Amino acid sequence: MEDFASAEERDGVRLSWNVWPASRLEATRIVVPIGLLYTPLKPIAHPPPLAYEPVRCNGCPALLNPYSQVDYRTKLWTCPFCLTRNHFPPHYADNISESNLPAELIPQFSSVEYELNTTRGAPVFLFVIDTCIPDAELDELKDSVQQTLNLLPEHALVGLISFGAHVQVHELGFSECSKAIAFRGTKDYSVQRVQELLGIAPGQPSSAIGRFLLPVSDCWLELDDLSRDPWPTPADQRPLRCTGAALSVAVGLLETAVPRQGARILLMVGGPATCGPGLVVDKLRSEDMRSHTDIQKGAAQHLKASTKFYQQLAERAAAASHVVDVFACSLDQVGLFEMRSCVDLTGGAVVVAESFTQSVFKESLRRLFKRRDGAMEMGFSATLECITSRDFKIAGAIGPCSSLRKKSQYVADTEIGAGGTNAWSLGGVDPQTSVAIYFEISKSTNKRRYCQLITSYLHSNGRARLRCTTLCGSWADDASALARSFDQEAAAVLMARIAVHRTDTEEVSDVLRWVDRSLIRLCAKFADYRKDEPQSFRLPHEFSLYPQFMFHLRRSQFLQLFNSSPDESAYYRMILVRETTLNSVVMIQPTLLSYSFQAPPSAVLLDASSVRPDCILLLDTFFYVIVFHGETIAAWRDAGYQDQEEHAAFRNLLMQPLADANAICDTRFPLPRYIVADQHKSEARFLICKLNPSVTHNSTDIAAGQAIPTDDVSLKVFMEHLIKLAVES
Amino acid sequence: MWLFDWVWNVLANLGLYHKSAKILFLGLDNAGKTTLLHMLKENRVQIHQPTFHPNQDELLIGNIRFKTFDLGGHETARRLWKDYFTTVDGVVYMVDAVDRERFPEAKKELDYLLTCDELASVPFLVLGNKIDSRTPPAASEDDLRYSLGLFETYGKDDSRYRANDADNKIRPIELFMCSVIKKVGYADGFRWLAQFF
Repeated sequence: MEDFASAEERDGVRLSWNVWPASRLEATRIVVPIGLLYTPLKPIAHPPPLAYEPVRCNGCPALLNPYSQVDYRTKLWTCPFCLTRNHFPPHYADNISESNLPAELIPQFSSVEYELNTTRGAPVFLFVIDTCIPDAELDELKDSVQQTLNLLPEHALVGLISFGAHVQVHELGFSECSKAIAFRGTKDYSVQRVQELLGIAPGQPSSAIGRFLLPVSDCWLELDDLSRDPWPTPADQRPLRCTGAALSVAVGLLETAVPRQGARILLMVGGPATCGPGLVVDKLRSEDMRSHTDIQKGAAQHLKASTKFYQQLAERAAAASHVVDVFACSLDQVGLFEMRSCVDLTGGAVVVAESFTQSVFKESLRRLFKRRDGAMEMGFSATLECITSRDFKIAGAIGPCSSLRKKSQYVADTEIGAGGTNAWSLGGVDPQTSVAIYFEISKSTNKRRYCQLITSYLHSNGRARLRCTTLCGSWADDASALARSFDQEAAAVLMARIAVHRTDTEEVSDVLRWVDRSLIRLCAKFADYRKDEPQSFRLPHEFSLYPQFMFHLRRSQFLQLFNSSPDESAYYRMILVRETTLNSVVMIQPTLLSYSFQAPPSAVLLDASSVRPDCILLLDTFFYVIVFHGETIAAWRDAGYQDQEEHAAFRNLLMQPLADANAICDTRFPLPRYIVADQHKSEARFLICKLNPSVTHNSTDIAAGQAIPTDDVSLKVFMEHLIKLAVES
Repeated sequence: MWLFDWVWNVLANLGLYHKSAKILFLGLDNAGKTTLLHMLKENRVQIHQPTFHPNQDELLIGNIRFKTFDLGGHETARRLWKDYFTTVDGVVYMVDAVDRERFPEAKKELDYLLTCDELASVPFLVLGNKIDSRTPPAASEDDLRYSLGLFETYGKDDSRYRANDADNKIRPIELFMCSVIKKVGYADGFRWLAQFF
């Protein structure tokens, strides 16, 4: 495990298998696909950004890296990917020696970042605000947006579009009074129409900048004038909300005014689109919002047209290197299921909350603009290219990315996720953004295998950057060497990403069956057992946690649709496929900590038996964090012991999990929901529903922990079945 | 008329004709609405996290196709309830019969629903859930009637003749005690509710 962590620290890479099987046949037998999870913007301690252009190979797209063979006498380097011998450029050749190496050749620096000379303009932030929400909500929303302006770099440009029954593009540069240009909400305006109506022209940024996009310092007053959509709404109707048209105008404005310049469209929406292009439900309340059942039966009447509309918008935004963020704050669905391509294809952020008054929204919005070393952490228009040595090829990628359709010799025949290419567009990126890449073995011919990941992106300071990570690994023929190199956390996340990806096109029940079958085959291959003797079954310790991960994955909101709307499912899945390995593992199997007088705080099993009356539990599911007081603790607290001097220890016991919960929340985006609940109370269900039901309402031994009212199988029963099937001949 | 009914019943039994009804599952958080919906759909007990977005499902009970909406019960989520009042055929109002501290809150929300103009003619099935609980014990039916102010109700027997009687404008509301996890009580409630569709 040490190894995996240090490799991740250095390169932002985790692999399911760190040693690879030498043939294609053997690769299919190890069940879990060979792949990696890459976090391209993971902050690296060393070296600092290199202020020069990378040295490229003449024979292939690879960059000079520590695995290149260097001949110091002849000043040549051999590319490990295509074996081309390259001359060093003169300024390298003059200085290079064994003791004087450029950073990109130093063995520890397998990941380096170049800062290039190309610059593009200041980042642009276009707020697209829903005004069909209650006044209290709108006030909070305006307040949050106003505060956000203070977080932007001074040179950043800001624009404002509001929408209800109509779209209003606010002319911020018109200082005499507030002025806006209105668009009908029922029409899909082409980019030419948007240009005509706004009086802007492509190639002339000055026609929009100064009018609709203004430096952040000048746009103070405009928000105050924003008021609720005046369009009347009868009781049996939903408010007229033209989210699709608003987004379309926003995309049109930006692609005309600031093409290929880093920009974000921040869509703040408080309800479903009910008119115009991209509508998700009719304005009449007699028509119901589509459910999972409707979608499965093909009975969701607006779904197809709407999804297609948002997909086309997303492609336009991505092509102009603009990002679409969605902040959906509503008690009901807003149509995120239809809009998800806008976020996925542009690398945007997504936040779902109940209300704009919740800190989940407010704090998450603030964190989007988080800075490191003075610069915002966000990057724009990122692309990722992957180069492999000839022994293996790329099957595809799953993550917040879309294929750049670059067919090359690195591409495999089989496809997983966005395949048929070795380059993808990521759009907006941040230090968490993680892409999964899956490989296919051709045939090992060399001792070592190499893989290079080249990410180019636009830093928020306006400069282009290039991150280059080069990986080297080895092959093995025997199963035990493979087993020892198994990274079960990375493997679980890579499998989870495939499972979630498959839910786009397959029934969830089929996906669950595939998860089960894969797990059985993996155990049958790597466990130690005698045929048909379940009691002889032993899993090597490298695999010890993997079945549990799959058990919890099956039960998770990623693969269970009940009690979760299409919007919720879309949200959870979007986040899972873009987060780091560590965060994804928390999503699959939440972490549980226990605090009591008996023992120091410690991680405990995610199990009903961990619930004790005299314990405080802290559960982290990534999406929410809950502090749970056992009934005895809750009674003591209600009696006010913590306020008495002689019970200072109890006060400390109460405080510690709260402090730890805060520490977790501080590092996250989006901000998790934070809940404090007592045993047997309503909100305790946030914790109870995540536990392995080892004790249920049918159990006889109720002293063993909290009885969970469920007929679901426990981990023990799951393991028994798994073992039985795995050892079956 | 009996011949007419008989024809429809035969069709229904053959699965060729179903009446349909849109019903709402309302009640405070942790009353057991989602658990009931899951039980009706899958016939299995399962624990769920508190509902965020409304759950929408279709159930076939007897010869009626129910389109059900299970709405979140926590305080903020209750603001959403009124958005679902149009074109509703029935309300299932659930109460956690164990959580006596919250009876006044449950009564307040029920009173609000019963006084809503949009729901004036809608039948209400009130379910007192969790009667399986021993520690602490669930309230008895009489206790719950008292706490919710449901002294006079419609009557539990199949009283179709009363529903047909246009002059008799008694509001259809009735309390049934049940335990979702033990699978008792709610079936009678639904049978009672079905007579109004």
